[in-house]
Amino acid sequence: MEVYLTCRSLTYAQSVSRALGAVSIRNMIVRTPQNMSREGCGYAVRIGNSSLDAALEALDARYLPPRRIYRARPGGGFEEVVR
Amino acid sequence: MIYLDSAATTFLKPACVEQAMRRALHTCSSPGRGGYESAMTAAETLYTLRERAADLFHVPEPERVTVTFNATHGLNIAIRSLAGAGSRVVVTGYEHNSVIRPLTAVGADVRVAASPLFDRDAAVRAFKLALDAGADAAVVNHVSNVFGFELPVYEIASLCRKRGVPLIVDASQSAGILPVDYRELGADFVAMPGHKGLYGPQGTGLLLVSGRAAPLLAGGTGSDSRSPRMPDFLPDRLEAGTHNMPGIAGLSAGVEFVRRLGTEKIRKRESALISRLIRGLSAVPGIRVFAPPEEGRGGVVSFQPDTVDPEEIGQRLGEMGFAVRAGLHCSPLAHATAGTVRRGTVRVSVCYFNEPGEMDAFTGAVLSLLEKPCGLFQQGGTCGKSL
Repeated sequence: MEVYLTCRSLTYAQSVSRALGAVSIRNMIVRTPQNMSREGCGYAVRIGNSSLDAALEALDARYLPPRRIYRARPGGGFEEVVR
Repeated sequence: MIYLDSAATTFLKPACVEQAMRRALHTCSSPGRGGYESAMTAAETLYTLRERAADLFHVPEPERVTVTFNATHGLNIAIRSLAGAGSRVVVTGYEHNSVIRPLTAVGADVRVAASPLFDRDAAVRAFKLALDAGADAAVVNHVSNVFGFELPVYEIASLCRKRGVPLIVDASQSAGILPVDYRELGADFVAMPGHKGLYGPQGTGLLLVSGRAAPLLAGGTGSDSRSPRMPDFLPDRLEAGTHNMPGIAGLSAGVEFVRRLGTEKIRKRESALISRLIRGLSAVPGIRVFAPPEEGRGGVVSFQPDTVDPEEIGQRLGEMGFAVRAGLHCSPLAHATAGTVRRGTVRVSVCYFNEPGEMDAFTGAVLSLLEKPCGLFQQGGTCGKSL
């Protein structure tokens, strides 16, 4: 299962991606699906669900909180993860 | 040609710059416009530039490194962010028209902290006095583009911080040659071109941003697309429209070249070249050399012939294969500080790739021109004297 960490900008997503890579969390920068982007076009960092806690810990340590977090539902679609 | 106009543009570039630009033409489309390979390659190229520049200039976050078309573009953003009609803006007596004209355009009350040429202590004292008389913002030239004089920018920045006056630093002649420490400066904006000491191509520049920034251009950013307004976050707030990817790739390669070599090594070489040139020119009769103090000497020096028009000398040197710039160098204020605003000077500026022998050749060329001034005028067609 995948988790999307939405970001305010591509540059921010790149900073998030670098921070996750530094703690060996596999990730990929992707376009944010429009149904999870309230602001319009943007980028997100996609990670595995099992990495979410470690990812948030790493991002908090670097003051790089994601804008929002979405988890893929088993049956399709996404749900927002509230911290 | 012996190129000695690097204060305008470093024409001699490291090979990696051209290679990076060629590669970008074939691999980079537009960052922020898609998730496909060429868009993401462009995004990576741009982010790498931000990372490299952040490292070189000690910027805590790559997002604060924004790309511009040149230093003038960055200075316009910075000035329009901090100053408006009636704003009291303190500047040094060495500012370029890229500062004075935008300040004039917004109707700012420009207050020149005038001080004698090459006097660092007097520059600090004058700036302090001007700040204490009341200031809404300040602009400081790090190194004069005419005289190669390094201003006490860190001391002036400290004065501004203590008084809560927002500061803009024009690092056009220092970026890539002197340490420019964004964190230590604590400036709201630091503007620099890509095509001078950073060895990037023309049409590139960087603006380091910590303060509130007003966009000069509005348009698409690939982010927050539903909003009719520019995003309120960096770097998108200041980067509307499609990026100059070949330029950005070239600039990134140039920044990496500087990072690997180190500004200390670059500065030492340029300073040694200019010192050699100063020694040579000082022995030429009939010219006045404006030699900046050895401490803080970079890769720029100006001289003024006693009787011959500097433009005439510059033109003739060009015809002899020496690229230099004569006149007022878009800095009438700096020339006013030196007392050279009526006639201007001939400016010689070097980069890391110049050779000591070129300095000697240049000195010889100046000597040969001044030894036969009538011949010079005759060929230039402007001499009123009988030959």
